[in-house]
Amino acid sequence: MILSLVRRNIKLYFRDKASVFFSMLSVIIIIGLYVLFLGKMVQGSGDFAGEAARFLTDSWIMAGVIATATVTTTLGALGQMVDDLTKKINRDFETAPIDRWKIVISYAISSNVIGILMSSFTFVLAEVYIVAYGGEIVGFIALLQILGLIILSTITSSAFLFFFVSMLKTMNSFSIISTIVGTIIGFLMGIYVPIGALPTAIQGFIKVFPPSHMASLLRQVMVNEVVAMEYLPREVSEMLGIQFYFGDTVTSQFSSIMILVTTTLVFFGLSVLIVSKRKREA
Amino acid sequence: MEKIIEVKNLHKSYGEVQAVKGIDFYVETGKLFAFLGPNGAGKSTTINVICTLLNYEQGEVTLDGLKLGVDDAKIRQQIGIVFQDSVLDNLLTVEENLRIRGSFYGLDSKSLEQAIEEALKVTDIYELKNRRYGQLSGGQRRRTDIARALIHRPKILFLDEPTTGLDPQTRKSVWNMIEHLYKNQGVTVFLTTHYMEEAAKADYVVVIDNGQIVAKGTPIELKDKYSTDSLQVKPINKHEVINLLKKEKLDYSEISDLLVIPLNSTIEALPILKLLDGAISAFQVLNGTMDDAFIGITGKEMRE
Repeated sequence: MILSLVRRNIKLYFRDKASVFFSMLSVIIIIGLYVLFLGKMVQGSGDFAGEAARFLTDSWIMAGVIATATVTTTLGALGQMVDDLTKKINRDFETAPIDRWKIVISYAISSNVIGILMSSFTFVLAEVYIVAYGGEIVGFIALLQILGLIILSTITSSAFLFFFVSMLKTMNSFSIISTIVGTIIGFLMGIYVPIGALPTAIQGFIKVFPPSHMASLLRQVMVNEVVAMEYLPREVSEMLGIQFYFGDTVTSQFSSIMILVTTTLVFFGLSVLIVSKRKREA
Repeated sequence: MEKIIEVKNLHKSYGEVQAVKGIDFYVETGKLFAFLGPNGAGKSTTINVICTLLNYEQGEVTLDGLKLGVDDAKIRQQIGIVFQDSVLDNLLTVEENLRIRGSFYGLDSKSLEQAIEEALKVTDIYELKNRRYGQLSGGQRRRTDIARALIHRPKILFLDEPTTGLDPQTRKSVWNMIEHLYKNQGVTVFLTTHYMEEAAKADYVVVIDNGQIVAKGTPIELKDKYSTDSLQVKPINKHEVINLLKKEKLDYSEISDLLVIPLNSTIEALPILKLLDGAISAFQVLNGTMDDAFIGITGKEMRE
């Protein structure tokens, strides 16, 4: 039952070309902006790497792009849940002999599957872009790390977004949420404006905002392919939001991962609470 | 006689508003049961409660011997519902839709394929199985909705205004299919409709208004009780006929060049016709219709 519902949600996502496009819109915009002028802005940061400067900034932007994709595609996939509610399709599920938690979990699972597929696809495109402009393809270890991070980021995004989406009752409110997320995600992940260029207070907020750690972790892996982390100047790392510093202590990969895992567990718990409280339509 | 649905003293309110105020009725196995009422009468609320979608405050409902609120999972196995608004996925094909929804009922893959095949054939949509649901015409969609409701061979089929919004020809063909189903497949049909000619074909009718049952019976009983028969005559000389009627103290009303005389039963037309013999050029004896009965019961027109 869960499997066939998951398959349904995935089919519906991919058959709705517009929803696929819109869930990738932020990614497309970021790449567009990077090609147009963002690239020039951050170029200076990579100068220390000499000939690899372009490779470095490309890797940096693409890490952010992949992190963005894990959020926006997952959100796009969760739209199915609201769509079913507004079209009253949920009534057909609820009058069939399946447990409600199975219906709910199937939305969560399919959003994860879609998020992972779309983000991996984004990663492939990113590599094509990097290689096309003279960079190198990632090594095998980095590839595994990136895939692992894509999975972790998607699960975190899904849990985080599920909590909000499960409270929505209309497609209109969902579009508003999508627009807001699509707009601010580029800022919160420090893509439109490198984190180091932002006021300290906002920097502080971004550093504790869990999704920014997805971008940070991915940047560390991808930039490491250009310049080993230990040779990366602190000011570059801080400026580009590759590593987060609190005072003089750098946030370790382990603590970033822990932040993501904790976020996932907290929002998963909250979502379970909300869904189990909502019984039959009053 | 076996009661497959039994509703006793059912109450349901939304906050302060009492939508259903203690209703009792039952549905016999294998019959076509029509549940009528003007908009906002509590019709949908009642159906949603019986279909396990809504909670209720008070009362007792059993479906096929199973208690509502206790054996909901088992009840869901026994009911098929055609909702007013379609609930299938536009972007999936007819067959994909049936396979996904059919997977909810715990059939193994072989039985599921068989069930899909059968549902497609019964509803006469076999050749549409690879078309996307969203690209079908209104009538084809309705057939697919019905196929979905039948996929697990339910004992009770709920049809919530199944022919609303269809053109007359399609409505007729969908209706024929419904009749075929309940006559040949032994399914009990619980129907709500806006079309009185459909309600007139039911075995039993219950009318709800303001959350209460205001009439029940067979269509013939309801027509007898709540609508009047009438005699229409076309006078050669209007004055003469009116004088004759007045002399006999008969009620009448004028509709253009016709005179309409209400009757308690159609047989009463005979002596009147004898009396008017020679003074009229044409006549017509009219039976009351379900439409009249419905208006007689609720004081409202069905289509608002």
